[in-house]
Amino acid sequence: MWRAALLSLCIAAAPARADTVYVLNSGDASISVVDVTTFTETRRIPLLREAHHIVLSPDGRDLVLGDSAANELIFLDPQTGEIRRRERISNPYHLEYSPNGRFLVVASLRRDHIDIYDAASLTLLQRFRQRDKPSHVAFSPDSRWFYVTLQGTGQVAAVDLLTSSLAWVQDVGPEPAGIIWNRGKLVIGLMGRRDFVTLDPETREVRVAFQVGRGAHTAFAAPDGRTLWATSRVDSRIAEVDADTYEVRRVFDIPGGPDCLAFDPEGRIFATLRWTGRMLAFDPRTGENAQVRVGRSPHGIFVMPQRQGVGADFAFAAPGAVSGSRPMARPVAGGGAVAGAVAPVGADAAIRVNAGTPGTHPPRPTLR
Amino acid sequence: MTDFLQDQYDGVTSWLFEVLLQPAMYALGLMNWADEAFQWMDFFVFGVIQVIVVAAVCLPLERWRPVERWESHGLVWTDVLYTLLSRLGILPLLGFILFYTASSRIEGMIADSGFVPPTLETLLPWLREAPLVALALYIVILDFTEYWRHRFQHIFPWWWALHSIHHAQTQMTFWTDDRNHILDDIIAAAWFGIIAVAIGVPPGQFPIILLVLRLAESLSHANVRLDFGRLGERLLVSPRFHRLHHGVLSVGNLGKNYGVLLPVWDWIFGTADFRRDHYPRTGDPDAPATYVRGGWLAQQAAGLRQVWRAITARGA
Repeated sequence: MWRAALLSLCIAAAPARADTVYVLNSGDASISVVDVTTFTETRRIPLLREAHHIVLSPDGRDLVLGDSAANELIFLDPQTGEIRRRERISNPYHLEYSPNGRFLVVASLRRDHIDIYDAASLTLLQRFRQRDKPSHVAFSPDSRWFYVTLQGTGQVAAVDLLTSSLAWVQDVGPEPAGIIWNRGKLVIGLMGRRDFVTLDPETREVRVAFQVGRGAHTAFAAPDGRTLWATSRVDSRIAEVDADTYEVRRVFDIPGGPDCLAFDPEGRIFATLRWTGRMLAFDPRTGENAQVRVGRSPHGIFVMPQRQGVGADFAFAAPGAVSGSRPMARPVAGGGAVAGAVAPVGADAAIRVNAGTPGTHPPRPTLR
Repeated sequence: MTDFLQDQYDGVTSWLFEVLLQPAMYALGLMNWADEAFQWMDFFVFGVIQVIVVAAVCLPLERWRPVERWESHGLVWTDVLYTLLSRLGILPLLGFILFYTASSRIEGMIADSGFVPPTLETLLPWLREAPLVALALYIVILDFTEYWRHRFQHIFPWWWALHSIHHAQTQMTFWTDDRNHILDDIIAAAWFGIIAVAIGVPPGQFPIILLVLRLAESLSHANVRLDFGRLGERLLVSPRFHRLHHGVLSVGNLGKNYGVLLPVWDWIFGTADFRRDHYPRTGDPDAPATYVRGGWLAQQAAGLRQVWRAITARGA
């Protein structure tokens, strides 16, 4: 019944599309490939150990995911799901590229270190050892700073890429997990409380921004740029939050432990439900939702649009790209593929936008 | 059918976690460990299933053709407790709490040295496309290392002082499989950790296979007159094969049949005994009485005393 409802929902909205969702199953070392049109898992890609998070490479050509326990970064073709290459690096749990595309930062939850890699060569540039559980990473839009939640010590560490130094560490509250940039501040979910807090990187002032429920986890910026969607693990909720005022507009009870979220170009939400081994599809406009079984303990998720004129990096062209763990310097126009231009930290970290499908846009600038 | 079973399993684990465990952890300020707790919950539920399956298979076999019949089964209950503590994740949880920080530090130090631990699939890339073959290879390698760990348990006096608890049982049943001193379990975990650094740890995404392996290990201790035939005895450790290892004349460094799952290692290293008509009494005649008749706690305390004696005797 629900599958038919979602099917009709998807088909009515966009009859020509067959978006693909990639779900990382951390509990059984695999990637579930879900066809949104039929709402079925069409393929299971085996990994080695334990994959958690997935991001898009700066040139928009690869999905990059970390298999933490296997010490591997895996580069995936977003169109086909083909594994293009693997690179051995230490314990990649959460990862993020700098908005200018020069750096890849990896948080090792298990081994208590934060690594900075050259994004093109994957050469380890610097390692910062932390006291306990570096968890999630977010950048400033100018690519100069990145921030990491330290889950075990209730802090956020700020690293200045201009000087390659740990600039400061700020107490924020118990068990901080997800962190994103939004309107000049950092929004952080505190798993040990109900609160999402904001941290002003200039003054290091911490304020309660909003509450969603016990076990606040991560906020995600919607493509429209006006909304954040925030999850709570203990009360198992997804909440719609005004990105400017932090007013909680709506709260949805979603049993199963919603964790990571991803959006399609229309703003539909896809979420991993950690504790039930399901992926949730949810239309916030109508409230319609459905679930499909994936692997055990699904965590990271990515929606790959399969439609004319939209590339894997569509999200960076949406107004919401000014927020998130890799915030763009400004909203980009034109849609389609985005490529990161090489820019020194501290200089103009421009983002060039190439409109059109991956097959028609101009050659991408190389990062090398 | 598989979907139905998976749905039931997911339903039970998620209910236990969302309704009981996670709210308790939140209240206690332990959300930092939520992911690990979920894995433990998985381990717990899987452990319950293991115990049920193993008991469902082994109990009828032990009633069908027992090697020994006892008037009282009092000694067996201690082994039941060992099994529950081990397979329901209580001892592994304790180990995790005690050693997480240490192991995390060691892993961090290894990473700082520039060495990125490989996996077997890194060394043999073709295994990536054949996960079941990879699992089989991991099982063979781990079984080989377990053979040698087991031999060392019998060779070194201080280690035998611990391992003797496992051998002291005179009423050996399938429950005896997990009868080990905590210190012995810790050493086993460290042994496994070293192997994990060398070849990676085996993937855990094949629960059915893992269930069958645990069943085979439990079955090898069962009080049942059963062998696997001339060929089968050389392929898989049977109750007969392993009973001979537990025989009263096979203690300490006099041991035979050390193999845990595959008898081939005993074959290769000259420690195999394939006599198919031999079902000896089990036990360690030199073990202290507490090892035989004591409860779990008493055996743990006695184990530490015996180790200390073995170490100081060697030094004297």
